[in-house]
Amino acid sequence: MADRPPLTYSIKPPKGEAQVWLTAMGLAVGIVMVVALLGLIVKRGTNVFWPKRIVEIQLKEGGPLLAERVISQKNLKTGREEWLIHSGNKSKDDPGTTYRYVDTGEITGTAEPQGVMKAERMEYGDAIFYPVSLTARDGASIQSTDPTFRAKLESLMKTGAAERQQVQRLEKVEIGRINKKIQDLDVKIKVHPEQAEALTAEKATLQAEYEKLAAQARGLHEALGKDLLRCRLVSGEERDQAIGELIRVYEPNKLGFWGRLKLTFARFWDFLSEDPREANTEGGIFPAIFGTFVMTILMSLVVTPLGVIAAIYLREYARQGLLVQVVRISVNNLAGVPSIVFGVFGLGFFVYTIGSQVDSWFFSDSLPTPTFGTGGVLWASLTLALLTLPVVIVATEEALASVPRGVREAALACGASKWQTIQRVVLPASAPGVLTGVILAMARGAGEVAPLMLVGVVKLAPSLPLDTTAPFIHAERKFMHLGFHIFDVGFQSPDSLAAQPMVYATTLLLITLVVVMNLAAILLRNKLRKKYAAGTF
Amino acid sequence: MPPTPSDVPDRFLVSKGTLRFDRFMNAAIRLGGLGIIIAVFGIFIFIISQVLPLFRSAEVKEIAAMPFAAGKAPMVFGIDEWAELPFYYEGGSDVTFVDAAGVKPPRTLPLTLPGGAQVTAASYISADQLVVIGTSDGQIGTFTVSYTAEFGEGGARSITPDLTMGEFYPVGTSGGAIRAVGYGDGGETKVVAAVQDSAGKPEVHAVVLKQKRSLMGKGKLTKDGDYDLTPMLTGAPVNLRVPRTGDAVLVTTAEGVVDYIFLGGDEPEKRQEFKPFAEGRKIASIDLIFGDVSLVLTDDTGEMTIFSLLVPEGSDQRLFVKTKTLANLAGPATFFARSQRNKLFLTGSGQQVSLRHSTTEQVRWEQNVGFEVKGAVIDAKCASFALLDAGGTLHRYSLDDPHPESGWKAYFGKVWYEGASKPEYTWQSTGGTDDFEPKLSLRPLIHGTLKGTFWALFFAIPVALLAAVYTAQFLRVEVKRIVKPMMEIMASLPSVVLGFLAALWLAPIIENRVPSLFLVFGGVPLLAALVGAAWSRLPAQRRAMLRPGMEWVAFIPLMLLAAWGFWSLGPVLESWICVIKDASGQPVIDAATGRAVADFRAWWPQITGTPFEQRNSLVVGVMMGFAVIPVIFTIAEDALSNVPASLTAASAALGASRWQTLRTVVLPIASSGIFSALMIGLGRAVGETMIVVMATGNTPVMDWNLFNGMRTLSANIATELPEAPVHSTLYRTLFLGALVLFALTFMLNTAAEILRHRLREKYKLV
Repeated sequence: MADRPPLTYSIKPPKGEAQVWLTAMGLAVGIVMVVALLGLIVKRGTNVFWPKRIVEIQLKEGGPLLAERVISQKNLKTGREEWLIHSGNKSKDDPGTTYRYVDTGEITGTAEPQGVMKAERMEYGDAIFYPVSLTARDGASIQSTDPTFRAKLESLMKTGAAERQQVQRLEKVEIGRINKKIQDLDVKIKVHPEQAEALTAEKATLQAEYEKLAAQARGLHEALGKDLLRCRLVSGEERDQAIGELIRVYEPNKLGFWGRLKLTFARFWDFLSEDPREANTEGGIFPAIFGTFVMTILMSLVVTPLGVIAAIYLREYARQGLLVQVVRISVNNLAGVPSIVFGVFGLGFFVYTIGSQVDSWFFSDSLPTPTFGTGGVLWASLTLALLTLPVVIVATEEALASVPRGVREAALACGASKWQTIQRVVLPASAPGVLTGVILAMARGAGEVAPLMLVGVVKLAPSLPLDTTAPFIHAERKFMHLGFHIFDVGFQSPDSLAAQPMVYATTLLLITLVVVMNLAAILLRNKLRKKYAAGTF
Repeated sequence: MPPTPSDVPDRFLVSKGTLRFDRFMNAAIRLGGLGIIIAVFGIFIFIISQVLPLFRSAEVKEIAAMPFAAGKAPMVFGIDEWAELPFYYEGGSDVTFVDAAGVKPPRTLPLTLPGGAQVTAASYISADQLVVIGTSDGQIGTFTVSYTAEFGEGGARSITPDLTMGEFYPVGTSGGAIRAVGYGDGGETKVVAAVQDSAGKPEVHAVVLKQKRSLMGKGKLTKDGDYDLTPMLTGAPVNLRVPRTGDAVLVTTAEGVVDYIFLGGDEPEKRQEFKPFAEGRKIASIDLIFGDVSLVLTDDTGEMTIFSLLVPEGSDQRLFVKTKTLANLAGPATFFARSQRNKLFLTGSGQQVSLRHSTTEQVRWEQNVGFEVKGAVIDAKCASFALLDAGGTLHRYSLDDPHPESGWKAYFGKVWYEGASKPEYTWQSTGGTDDFEPKLSLRPLIHGTLKGTFWALFFAIPVALLAAVYTAQFLRVEVKRIVKPMMEIMASLPSVVLGFLAALWLAPIIENRVPSLFLVFGGVPLLAALVGAAWSRLPAQRRAMLRPGMEWVAFIPLMLLAAWGFWSLGPVLESWICVIKDASGQPVIDAATGRAVADFRAWWPQITGTPFEQRNSLVVGVMMGFAVIPVIFTIAEDALSNVPASLTAASAALGASRWQTLRTVVLPIASSGIFSALMIGLGRAVGETMIVVMATGNTPVMDWNLFNGMRTLSANIATELPEAPVHSTLYRTLFLGALVLFALTFMLNTAAEILRHRLREKYKLV
């Protein structure tokens, strides 16, 4: 609607202006909805990483609190201001909730003490305390007033981190390898009972090796617990905290804007690169990102050739008639079939039909434990490939159709065969359109959760679907997924308040991913339209 | 003369390789493309193939007939769970086990009966593999048949039977012969009951046995009570049954009445007497179905009804109420056997054998077997059954009926489930006990789906259509290039994110501010209309300040301000209207403030009698709007802006205002496109899963209450399918749900597509 004549400059008021304003309201509401929702997610999501000041709160009743003020909002029931505070300091003996709402009417005084320290720990979440002293494993002790205190603490944490990594390597890689060997041996013993004796002996040596490594890991673990940081809580109670368990300490009340910004990025990086801790409510979401990535890539590897071939067939080979028209409409409509239906199909067909067949052919040794006969990243990718196939077919067809007829005829006139025309002329010209379709498919696949719940996503996968042990790609493994992570952490956590920051952060990441992909597809499409708008007759 | 092909030099010819490759690729693409398209439609076929077994009836095949009890039908007979070693008992002092394969010779195990007594009645309790016997001198005892399976080389099974004798208890005082026995093992309490001859007159006696629980396992059985129930009866007793709950005796009398005597209290108590059939009819059989709360009764003409134990409306006791009528038998039922896995039972009259399911009232299989059936038994796995003829021959049949509880009636009809006070549509697929009756009505789920869709569209349609109209007809082109992708971004928001926000962010807000929300919903459109009316009355110079097509930008701050205002007015409105009344109708006064308590959440149930839940349809409707609005918007906007400019220009040239142009020219032409947009939006709302899973309580209720949750077909699949055993009835039923969803959305989309196609043809004409 490029050149509509100007309609408004009349002296008498035009009819129906009130209705026009009503329709304007529709658009305003729509835009406000999008902006508000994205704004909410961005605000809550970034708020998670921004280090907050720690406040000492005096209450009318009960002892003082030392806590971060996470959110300040109006309570809709009482109409008064309330704070969501995070006081941390969970421990083995005190596994209480660390997040709670405090009514500002209950608060008699607040202060921002300078010496307070916040620590992120491997277990039990964050700790908020006043440092008193630290004692290294060699017995050397430093008071917190000592100027070298902070440096010493950092260096102890560094050695602790190195040792922790070593323990992790021992436990995950070395012991994992031995476990795998023992498992294989068990299967072998089952299959070849005649060699049981020799195999059992081999198993025993492996077990001895396992014990040795386990003892080594235990030793390191114990050493880790020997550097102690003495902390004073706001209640006056003093606790010893193993420095080897600390990931990061900082004094939020001493940080300036840039210091906090730097910390925000550091924490965001941890979030992206680390494994989850504390039943997924702390730590990072690396496995979920990785799982989503692997699943989406596998899916697009499957869906791109299939979609392109089907589209080429429909557009270039099939005789254009009623039948093809019907097929085209049906394929188009498959895009509107609910995703859960594809999940049901994936479970019934891929997992229970194909998967158990594959198991009975190739993995009968380990039955009844299923290998491919249960959900896994391969089946999930295939299911999503089916789900997104219509998207790719439709986009590719559209792109093929928009290649001008003259170009094809020119190619044919030059003596190119049909396939040569398609390969050298039509496909390159429609590549951006295909790419748009694939990006849209990936965005859809990355954000879809319902079908994945049926075909292999789990809340916590012990290992990644892609790693350094042969055969490197473990297509049968279950995997973690950003979308499912949101569902699981938000809904299955016992302490939902404590889980919320994690959910908002994950949501922000997922939304960013999906929106960026969609924007890219939209921009690409617009560019494409312009290109052909000039090229067509 | 033009050159013939042979004259063309080789270098001008297309190389063979190219041609071959071309042919190969052409074939590959044809094959691949066709294959992919067929495979995609294979989804539909696969799902149907998973659903079809639900609608098959039972498959029964005769395996073999074997000589069993030579010459005559024995008193009782039973079978092991593998159906390999049936036994029979003829009332003597031994039990005979016959190898079904006919390989090993029959084997007898001895029984020790109390001295000199004759066995006059016996009954087989298949669930316990227990036989109750009554003697001529008025004693009742039991023996248990146990089978141990040993697996030898190569998995071959050999079964060894064993007998355990129970104690004998004298019943009544007369020492008269026992005519019928019943036994119910309710764990700690066991009830043994008998019809006994006493001086030529039948009496009913019941013995209650208690088993003390001790640290060392099961303790000794002690006699807790011995009751003469005869005075409580309405007539001469004929037969009796004791349910496995061990707390009641059901006696049929010669007058066609059933007496229900409750033994769970301190003393026997007659709870109920009922006449299951018309006056003058006699009760031919009385039997209990698996679960022991339903009675199958037949009369002497073959009429069959089921009575279930339930709490009728207006009563506080569990009583037997007629719940079902099944197809008539050819005559009075002469035998009965029940499944120990589900509500299947095998019954019949004479030569007729009928396999029926009590929940759905269906006849699963029926046949005239060609011999007089004297007894029947179903094995514990419900994989085979055996019929006994008058000559003592055992006919064994394989039984394959994996989905007896399915069928059209179970899915779409009202079913009177056990324990319910009336027939209803219920979805409750799993329960805590083995004898749970699965309730698989899809009606509540379809209802929930429609309800969620309705409320979602209720909120989404106005916004989406108004926005589409404005964007297509009034918005400036350069702004449209930004606005449209923004709305499309909304479509890309993953539904799990929307669901999470709905449940953890929106639901708590809405819960406290329902009146505010309604004020905003009503107030903002009103404001828009008022502003529009006022604006059009301004002088033209003033109006020129705002370029046409920018009204929406000007409206945003106004709208935000108004929304904030209405939002804060909400509690005021609430305190006026939503005053909670106590039982006497007086307002409840808050002691602290001295004002009447007003709370929408408590007020709504008081006024309407329907519940208010935090995660309700309102939350789902609003949040699903985010998923549905962009879908409708995009398609409707396309349809509207595809209306040829020549038409709108002509309309404007004739002096129509932009609204008049829209109303009289654009909307009529684009109407079918808009309608197809609505249908596609509907399809999207029908299939939405994660928002509903997360933002409702997922309770399968059937109402249209805005403040109550629901369970949709898609949410039901997502929550139940991961736990459903493969190929079970539940699994297939969930596939049926998926099929319904598939068909529904596919049809909606196809209809929309056809409409859109028509629209395109229309443009061509213009």
